[in-house]
Amino acid sequence: MAPTPIISVHDVCKYYGNFTALEGISFDIKPGEIFVLLGPSGCGKSTLLRIIAGLETESKGDVVIDGTDMLGIPANKRPVNMVFQSYAVFPHMSVEANVAYGLKLERLPKAEIKAKVAEALEQVHLSQFSHRMPDQLSGGQRQRVALARALVKRPQVLLLDEPLSALDAKLRDAMRLELVKLQESVGVSFVMVTHDQSEAMAMADRIAVLKDGKLRQLDSPTALYKNPCDQFVADFIGRINMFDVSSHTRNGDAVQFDTKTLGTVTLPASLMPANTRNLAIAVRPERVRVGLEQPAAEMIAVTGTLGDVAFQGDSSLVEIILDGERSITALATEAQAETLMALEIGTQVYANWQPKDMLVLPENASE
Amino acid sequence: MAKLKRDKPGPFEYSRKFSLRFSFFLASVFLYAPIIVLVVFSFNNSRRGGNVIWKGFTTKYYEKAFHNDALIEAFTNTLTIAFISTIFAVILGALTAVVLWRFRFPFKPVFEGMVAMPIVIPEICMGVSLAVFFSQFGLYVPAGTPYPFNLTNIILAHITFSFPFAAMIIRTRLNNFNREMEEAAKDLGATEFQVFRDILVPHMKPGLIAGALLSFTLSLDDFVITFFTSGPDTVTFPIKVYSMVRFSVTPEINAASTILILITLLVTAVAMKFQTFEESH
Repeated sequence: MAPTPIISVHDVCKYYGNFTALEGISFDIKPGEIFVLLGPSGCGKSTLLRIIAGLETESKGDVVIDGTDMLGIPANKRPVNMVFQSYAVFPHMSVEANVAYGLKLERLPKAEIKAKVAEALEQVHLSQFSHRMPDQLSGGQRQRVALARALVKRPQVLLLDEPLSALDAKLRDAMRLELVKLQESVGVSFVMVTHDQSEAMAMADRIAVLKDGKLRQLDSPTALYKNPCDQFVADFIGRINMFDVSSHTRNGDAVQFDTKTLGTVTLPASLMPANTRNLAIAVRPERVRVGLEQPAAEMIAVTGTLGDVAFQGDSSLVEIILDGERSITALATEAQAETLMALEIGTQVYANWQPKDMLVLPENASE
Repeated sequence: MAKLKRDKPGPFEYSRKFSLRFSFFLASVFLYAPIIVLVVFSFNNSRRGGNVIWKGFTTKYYEKAFHNDALIEAFTNTLTIAFISTIFAVILGALTAVVLWRFRFPFKPVFEGMVAMPIVIPEICMGVSLAVFFSQFGLYVPAGTPYPFNLTNIILAHITFSFPFAAMIIRTRLNNFNREMEEAAKDLGATEFQVFRDILVPHMKPGLIAGALLSFTLSLDDFVITFFTSGPDTVTFPIKVYSMVRFSVTPEINAASTILILITLLVTAVAMKFQTFEESH
């Protein structure tokens, strides 16, 4: 049996006048997992997090935290704590006072507060900064203060609103790992909001992809990447080459897709999704091979000219221009890229991949 | 290699431009010269304060001012009024500012305009209207009421005209409050009141101090409104000085004014010190 969910969101809707910010969102968050709400800006992910925190009230639906329905329970009485996007560290309090604030409100004895604060600051490696004021800290350190301040309350769930968006690229990468480590050591569930798919992929146990207030897909990072349910998810998570299908016909175990770019493509029927409205077929760049010779007949191939090769260190992104406006992206390994870079731009090449590497995707799986 | 010589000021080197230096000089002269003259001539050993001939150094007019009971009483009245009206003006101003910043309600622009009204209304109109109001409603404190209650009318009038200034300043300060701070406090378990006390008031503090300073100085030197709301036994410093000047300008007035300037500077310095102390801790 699956463990009882720590947070259960059931059919949550949020309306602002005529605008629907969230519609029919349901999911369970398991104890001790990192759960990421992922989506483009304006998809409602932050609103959902704020509803869980109690800073916003749902128009419909229930939020159950640790078995208690949160309807009517204000933010200050919920067993969750939040790390805000701006960190919201209190500027007139020292690091220590910031972390102690939530415990003071609980009227804990002074000695206990002191011990807990010291422990929390230790956890986020800020012990030597305890007497500093927030304006004497860097952005990364301020974030740690916000983390310690929330964790010291021992919440059932820690909510994080775009926690890494305000940090510079290098620090962001380091903090990803550190947040995951921190989560493992404290053991509470993290619910994190982000618009950065690579961040979500790197950290999450499970990702909920939101678009226009609706849940598109909820799965593990690998499952989302390998089996995206629709074109939006496939495009949002990682890079993908997508080809619109104008019509398709089924012949027993195979389906024929007519596309403008690839011509007619025959794929096994097992790849067909349940929903077949406005289909597209797609292939990930790392599945695409680029060669100078005509590939084998069973491969799906398209002829184009070599475009830019974007060097990324261990791999390179290769652009193959098909007919001036359309192009295919391939991910080449270091050795392949070296050969390709030796060629002149405009050389005729064959992009090819195996039929089984293709994905067949509806425009929107839930429609 | 030729040495680069720069005799022309660069595009942003305003401090090296003659036109700007000159206008700064003029502004300083017209702002501060009268005050410096006033202070210097408070030590002039001359019988008339308006006399611009230096007749030697003396402090006797300070002694004289300190022994002028009527002047001292007016001075005490002015400070009492300024002190009490400032406290009320800041409290009212802060509450008004929070209401205007935090809530949306019907006719809010009307309310906002009404709050700002005392700032734009000519003082003379306000003075007359307050005088009429107090007498029409029988709110004038009867003569012979003991100090400081005899000042009630003036204090009420001063609160009325100074609290909108405090409200404006505090409102401006609130505009750059990060609402996530409030949410963070609530998230950590704070009630509305605790958020107000622990987060909002500390944020407003510079605005409260600035508002208090402004209210204090506004009250300290107000003449018009005070003139209309004061009785014969409630004379304030500006009114006293005015009546003294009508007889003759003596260095005594210079001395008294110098002391007032000193007090104002002292209050400002203390407030600024207090603020920088806050910032560094």
